[in-house]
Amino acid sequence: MTRRALIEAIRGSAQRVLAEPGGLLVSLGFYTIIVGTLAGLWRVAAHANGGDLGGYSAVALTWYIVTSEAAIVSVNARLIEDIGRDIAHGTVAVELLRPASVLAVRVASEVGRGLPRVALLWTGGAVLATVVAGAPPRPATLLLAAPSLVLAIIANLLGQHAVAAAAFWLRDAGSAWFLYLKAVFITGGMIIPLELLPHGLERASRVLPFRAMAYAPARLAAGHAEPGLLVEQVVWIAVLALAAGAAFRAGERRLQVVGG
Amino acid sequence: MSGLSSTFRNACAEAAAKPAALASQMAVMIVNDAVWVVFWVLFFHRVGTLGGWDAERILLLQAVLTTAGGLSLGVFANARRVGTMAVEGELDAVLALPVAPLPFLLLRRIEPVNMGDLAFGLVLFGVAGHPTPVRTLVFVLVVLASAVLLTSFLVLTGAMAFFVGRSESGELGFHAMLLLGSYPVDLFAGAIRVLLFTVVPAAFVSAVPARLIDDFDGGRAGALGGIALAFALAASTTFTLGLRRYTSGSVWTRA
Repeated sequence: MTRRALIEAIRGSAQRVLAEPGGLLVSLGFYTIIVGTLAGLWRVAAHANGGDLGGYSAVALTWYIVTSEAAIVSVNARLIEDIGRDIAHGTVAVELLRPASVLAVRVASEVGRGLPRVALLWTGGAVLATVVAGAPPRPATLLLAAPSLVLAIIANLLGQHAVAAAAFWLRDAGSAWFLYLKAVFITGGMIIPLELLPHGLERASRVLPFRAMAYAPARLAAGHAEPGLLVEQVVWIAVLALAAGAAFRAGERRLQVVGG
Repeated sequence: MSGLSSTFRNACAEAAAKPAALASQMAVMIVNDAVWVVFWVLFFHRVGTLGGWDAERILLLQAVLTTAGGLSLGVFANARRVGTMAVEGELDAVLALPVAPLPFLLLRRIEPVNMGDLAFGLVLFGVAGHPTPVRTLVFVLVVLASAVLLTSFLVLTGAMAFFVGRSESGELGFHAMLLLGSYPVDLFAGAIRVLLFTVVPAAFVSAVPARLIDDFDGGRAGALGGIALAFALAASTTFTLGLRRYTSGSVWTRA
């Protein structure tokens, strides 16, 4: 397997997404509605509580939401279901014939799909946040938030592949994507900053990988200069890559024995 | 009429034919709805009362929304697919039948996943809605009005596809309605508030009905009924006019 194959997978997927501007615009419209509403809710809540909630101002909460939503909406929410279907229908068995890791090529392709989307959504979100709330609390932290968004997408994709690998044995990942997404909602900090959770739930969320998928870039964009979050994301990516890799290797061995 | 009732019985039998699948899909949606309830409880636990809304009232709103959503998206499942069927040319089989196309389409298919919404909403009202005979009666009436409004809105935005040739407007309308409907309308001001009462009448799907259960008011109830009726007429008219522009896709489906 070569690095070139992965780069081509990323580039090819990104080009396919860019070739369909209509789809991108629908994503942007959907994202704008979500972010406009949810960020509006948090701003009202912050103002009603003296302008501060758990260390976040109304402006910071707006930038938090536009970033956390961009990280999640950029990735196919039903990827687990799609991968499960590909495993069950034998598509993955055909991909095994290629001289490249099925998992690596699949993740690279999805990263390629996610990058143009996240660039568009985050840009749109930044414009929206600036108009309705104000400039970013600390513009310099956006330089950390940008790479953190890419890491968040990679962590999310690896996590989804690790879960979807169950379909090698169950033949169907069913509606696991729904439950996965809901875990990201709360314990990933997608719709609520982790600092605002009750103490026990906050502590639990700090040892789960979901915070690397939404909370990390959102916290940075909200003006908190905490580069340690990037390190934490890299660690979670390594853990999730090991888990997904082990699950796919075991699953592929089973496919070769049982048939696709 | 008997054709439509047979169609609906058939749809029910189809959904019930796989009880294990029905139960598991309903369970997934119940978990989904429960997560939103957890979010709102956490939110109001943290911020207290906001614009007259607290945890108790938001649970009532969620009960109305999920029950009405369950009826609209679960029982009248094709309401969400009108746009896709119009664009893909999948209505041939419906047009050949001796029944009114729109009622047939709406009754033809039940979506098991969204039946979880219906079950969740009813249980949530029973648990957190302080049900008394009067409140339960109002709950039933406003949920029916809300379901008519939501279904009509979905058909209306979906039927736009007959004219514009793309079905994205229906899907966007669906997401916008459900998302905006899950928020307490009084927290918003300006353009968003106007939007919630007009173009995307999400306020009438959840917030207004929830308020009617707590504090019944004839004027608001009349407005809710009037809006539901107006959208039903608009949806029916748009669908009927749109059918004149329908182009077959030579796809023989069961709709």
